[in-house]
Amino acid sequence: MTFPLTFWDISLWLGITAIILLATAELISPYSGKTNIIIEKRKMRRAALLAGIMSMMTVIARIYGIIITS
Amino acid sequence: MRDVDNAEKLSLARSEESVQGQKRVVERLQQLEGERDALRLELWRLKRKPSGVIGYGLLVSGVTALVLSISFSSSILAFIGLGLTFWGVLLLYIRPVRYVKATLLDSSAVSSLVAISRVITDLNYAGKGIYLPPRYLKEFKSSSIFVPSESTLVIPPVEDVSHGKVFLEDPKGLLLTPSGLDLANLYEKELGMDFVKTDLNYLRNNLPKVFIESLEIAEDLEINSGNEVVCVRIIGSVYQELCREARKLPRICNSFGCPLCSSIAVALTRAIGKPIIIERTEINSDGKTIETCFRTL
Repeated sequence: MTFPLTFWDISLWLGITAIILLATAELISPYSGKTNIIIEKRKMRRAALLAGIMSMMTVIARIYGIIITS
Repeated sequence: MRDVDNAEKLSLARSEESVQGQKRVVERLQQLEGERDALRLELWRLKRKPSGVIGYGLLVSGVTALVLSISFSSSILAFIGLGLTFWGVLLLYIRPVRYVKATLLDSSAVSSLVAISRVITDLNYAGKGIYLPPRYLKEFKSSSIFVPSESTLVIPPVEDVSHGKVFLEDPKGLLLTPSGLDLANLYEKELGMDFVKTDLNYLRNNLPKVFIESLEIAEDLEINSGNEVVCVRIIGSVYQELCREARKLPRICNSFGCPLCSSIAVALTRAIGKPIIIERTEINSDGKTIETCFRTL
């Protein structure tokens, strides 16, 4: 009864999700002229940035692990 | 005798016909009421926001998949669960608070503009509306527009304005609250800055951000300033229909101002600290671009 995903699986998932969210947030930005999409764009961008930061943190943890072990 | 019988039969037939007619009307009425109820339900179904239901649905199925993934030690189920949970939470988080249609915005504002236009026209006041800077007022968050009776641009003394009178005698004119006052206060709230403490450069750099990103009033905004003239170009505004309606009203568009132009005038007069008039307002042929020029006095 253990969670089947490892830290690196979650890192990969976070990376893909962050890319999708960041691209979406950029495409629906009011600066692109898409002002008719009815969602909270500011919150969307915040969520995308959060996912991106979390993904980067897992990457940094991985790099740190490689440096420490080598 | 036969005639009387015939008349009775005719009267009976007519009354039967009338009763049947009434029955048909009642049946038709019931049928129409049924159709109305069905249409109302359909309209309600179309109007409600499905994003909440979808969000909760994704969340529940995601959590279920995560729990099952632990039971079956399945990484595929875990990925599916993570994805569904994440998108469910995201959908609930980015759901719009409350949006209203632009037509509702226009309809609610036009009547008050019509009333002001009628008052100014009936009084036969010919002067352009002068937006007074905060030093004329008791509170920084309030604002006033002075409509002089003559076409000459005269500014009333500070004491008269601060008393809060509507009709002034010397110089003769009308002192009103601008239609865009609360909108201008909203810009300040969004920026977290009082325009009184800023200047024109600050507005030039920050007002587009409020218009495009924060409040999504317009697709683009440019502020250009020249010799005592500040021109503001607004592209793709949600107020463009209201602006077009305001142009039809006498003494509104280039004097009192529609809520959007009025809000910019209030922001400008606070930042510059001088009285301002709306010199001209133009809408491009495509109706998307509004250009308003303000002159400082």
